[in-house]
Amino acid sequence: MKVKRGQLQLSFAWIFAIIVGAVILFIAIYAATKVIKTGDTAVSAKTGKEISVLLNPLETGFETGVVTLLTMPVETRIYNQCSTSGNFGKQIIKISQMSFGEWTETDLETVFSNKYIFSEGVEEGSNFIIFAKPFEFPFKVSDLIYLTSSDKKYCFFKPPREIKEELSDLNQESIFVKNGAESCPENTVKVCFGNGSGCDVNVDEFQKSVEKNTQNGSQIVYYETDSLMYAAIFSDKNTYECQVKRLMKRTSNLADLYDEKGALLAQQGCADSINLQSLANSANSIRDSQDLSNLNPVVNQLKAQNGFANCKLW
Amino acid sequence: MQKNKSGQMKIQQMAFMLIAVTLFFALVGLFIVNVLFSGLKESATVLEEKNAILLASKLANSPEFSCGDSFGTSRVNCVDFDKTMALKKNVKAYSDSDFWGVSGIEIVKIYPLTQGNTLCTVENYPNCGRLEVLKASSGTGVSNFVALCRKENVEGLVQNKCELAKIVVTYKDAGS
Repeated sequence: MKVKRGQLQLSFAWIFAIIVGAVILFIAIYAATKVIKTGDTAVSAKTGKEISVLLNPLETGFETGVVTLLTMPVETRIYNQCSTSGNFGKQIIKISQMSFGEWTETDLETVFSNKYIFSEGVEEGSNFIIFAKPFEFPFKVSDLIYLTSSDKKYCFFKPPREIKEELSDLNQESIFVKNGAESCPENTVKVCFGNGSGCDVNVDEFQKSVEKNTQNGSQIVYYETDSLMYAAIFSDKNTYECQVKRLMKRTSNLADLYDEKGALLAQQGCADSINLQSLANSANSIRDSQDLSNLNPVVNQLKAQNGFANCKLW
Repeated sequence: MQKNKSGQMKIQQMAFMLIAVTLFFALVGLFIVNVLFSGLKESATVLEEKNAILLASKLANSPEFSCGDSFGTSRVNCVDFDKTMALKKNVKAYSDSDFWGVSGIEIVKIYPLTQGNTLCTVENYPNCGRLEVLKASSGTGVSNFVALCRKENVEGLVQNKCELAKIVVTYKDAGS
């Protein structure tokens, strides 16, 4: 049979070259994508670890009222996750950054047991505000770290004098403090102390509760001490409740330590008897933040006993 | 027949060429990947080192070690020896959770050096010179000077006694 003129003729060599070429190109593109993804994952993991290192100085307790500004080169999402497993629970941080117009996805997590970060589940932005405040219950348990995106504005409406001074000292453009005469700017999270209209967050200092009005309805959490009040304001309910449980685990472990120290001091002739076992047991069995109020009488009693002791335990 | 043979030769030549080109690009790719990720291990070690340095400077002020108000007023960089000894007894809970994220923590008395390098145990406490809170098998150590305070009974009177010590934090190099 004669082949007609003009009909496309492809020799076996050409078909072979096209197929192999396509395979090579496919492998090259696949490898390049994989390399870029691995690079993004490495950057995210590195950033997560860098944040954890950056948070170290905040735990000394001398950095209270000092704001650390975390500036990222690109738009970043910080995933704040918390787990109550183990002796102290876990603080988990995951970082996702904008790359070629898309958020990088990574399974790599930075995990630490000795940090307590209070923030929303996902904080997004390129600038983040971090500050810390010690939590004492009745001894110092840890420094609580508050993390929020500077894109998110908070307006504290009619706060008590100490809170007002503390917040004003932070000197942040994203945190407004207003007394009754002025109203809060628009597009801010309005945090009301006592009565107020159109509030996103209500702080009840008598009940020691923080109520948040979210899209899914209102959520209420309970606190003891100012440091936990800030924690409740800046974090979501899940994060807050989980971190409170972790803090109570550490309180329980520290109570055991002080109990052991008391026994050592008794050998040196310190006859003060401070029973910390009740705190150690009840702190470890806390169900949620509502149980904090049950611990408060024990904590106050221990605080008084230690204050009057000849050999103070803390 | 002759034409067929020459065609086969051409296909063979092309196949060899394609394999060579693929191998060349694969090697170039491997080289680039190696260059891109060679700094990762170094970065990890640098971050571990930074973490250990910051930890050494802040550890004395953490609740598990700090003097708090036990010795009068609040003190900076002061380690409560009694509390740390109690911590040594309960350290398993902390080490199991990798609480500090480092491989070793040790407190070494510097002055006065009356007990030399004797390791602290429940039996010989406080007459010892070195307390291993977290025993490190290997790694690099970074240290920070601290005051090491405890209560001591002197002729029936309980007194505060502070000595000079250093807190040594050991971290593992990445890849080791």
